[in-house]
Amino acid sequence: MEKQEILSAIQKLVADILEQKGLDVVTLDASTELLGGELGIDSLDLATLVRELEETTGRDPFSEGFIEFRTAGELADLYVR
Amino acid sequence: MTSAPGLPLEAGDGAALVARGAAVVSREELRRRSDELAERLRQEGIGRVMVVSDDPVDVLRAIDACARAGADLWVAHTNLPGAMVEELSREFRVQLQIGAQDEARSVAAPTADTEPATDGDGAPQARIFMMTSGTTGRPKVATHTLGSLLAKVRTSASVSANREGRWLLTYQPTGFAGVQVMLTAALSHGLIVVPEERSPQGFFEAARRWEVAQISGTPTFWRSFLMATPPGALELRQITLGGEAVDQATLDRLKERFPTARITHIYASTEAGVVFAVHDGLEGFPKSWLEQPVQGVELRLRDDLLQIKTPNAMQGYLTEAAQPLLEGGWVATADRCEIVGDRVRILGRQDSTINVGGSKVYPLAIEGFLLGLPGVVEAKVYAVPNPISGALVGADVVLAPGSEPSEAKKAILARCRAELATYQVPRVFRVVDAIQVGTSGKKG
Repeated sequence: MEKQEILSAIQKLVADILEQKGLDVVTLDASTELLGGELGIDSLDLATLVRELEETTGRDPFSEGFIEFRTAGELADLYVR
Repeated sequence: MTSAPGLPLEAGDGAALVARGAAVVSREELRRRSDELAERLRQEGIGRVMVVSDDPVDVLRAIDACARAGADLWVAHTNLPGAMVEELSREFRVQLQIGAQDEARSVAAPTADTEPATDGDGAPQARIFMMTSGTTGRPKVATHTLGSLLAKVRTSASVSANREGRWLLTYQPTGFAGVQVMLTAALSHGLIVVPEERSPQGFFEAARRWEVAQISGTPTFWRSFLMATPPGALELRQITLGGEAVDQATLDRLKERFPTARITHIYASTEAGVVFAVHDGLEGFPKSWLEQPVQGVELRLRDDLLQIKTPNAMQGYLTEAAQPLLEGGWVATADRCEIVGDRVRILGRQDSTINVGGSKVYPLAIEGFLLGLPGVVEAKVYAVPNPISGALVGADVVLAPGSEPSEAKKAILARCRAELATYQVPRVFRVVDAIQVGTSGKKG
């Protein structure tokens, strides 16, 4: 998958999470910090997001251990083939 | 005692003891077959026997004949791999294998250290070795005698309260719980009803055909049995739950479906036998039981884990112990408890705890919560490994017939988010048709 596709997937999954939490949906871009406070998601939501990205993309970039990422773009990069 | 006692089966007693499909085996028939076997053991000098059979008739005749002939008996699960049964047979120098056909085996004579133990009078006291139902690796082997097993059954109150009961055998006949049910029926002039097929429908058909009034099973068994049993189809007098901690929602559903039955949940372990029985319809047990011995058993919590001290404890392990014995005769269990008001709730086994970003989640507590929601008939909660949080909570749920999956999922998750801590909320949620159940009747 292309990075832009993955970013769209992240946007959709984050929107689902926010909606479930009863929060306003925020538009994100590659520079949005995932846990920076702008989005209103917490680390468990992020854990859920990563799990769902694995299902969406069929890839698990963390299979060898944790890789650091801060922004939506950095996360998307991990899933780009 | 100088003579090893057998089961109270009288020649000339034509009452049915085991029923399967339309066929029955009477008490006198079992007596006759057991006499034949005991005679063979004595004549051939056989001191070491293994039974590998899911037929209660084989298990009971082996137990009875070995006790009377003074032979040691190994009770092996039929789902053990053949090579494992072979290995255990060789290791224990088994001379005769009981099953659909009894097969003599050639072995070297027993060595001195494997001779049967003797009781106070020096008479041999035959031992019964039972295996744990672990699904992987070598089973652990616990040592009992028929006397100790019968003593546990006699004190369990099932015997006196259920004379001439009709018991549905929901457990493996080779496991500790299955043997308990069979011995209960043997002692109380009862009937053991064996399903032709071990499925919820098969259990229901067998129960209906023989008008079963007593059923002992795991909470997992009961939830599936509720699904297969139409309201009013059975009149149960005794409902017993064991093998897993039971949640309030399951107890409530049973009470609603079988309003006149006595509902008992028991806490038992291979090591300690039946520890206590609770009859008040509430999950867990009264907190006051931590302060004074109850039913001859002392209970205490250490680091939130239940410890027990019981006169019925087994006599030791042939293999390494599954539960450590502590000083003063206490047994340490891995069952984690919490005190809520005047009640002690069992949260589940310590090793099943899910660590979500440092917060501990007890699957049983979440399963109990899910089972309390409308439309949920079975639930299994498990850990899903996760690179961010270590683990997340996963849940598989079976819905009542007629529920619309996507709407039900939405409603269930909304309740979870509203009523559970964020780390307890299932992040992986699946609606499934059925939940895998192991041969022990517990959720696999």
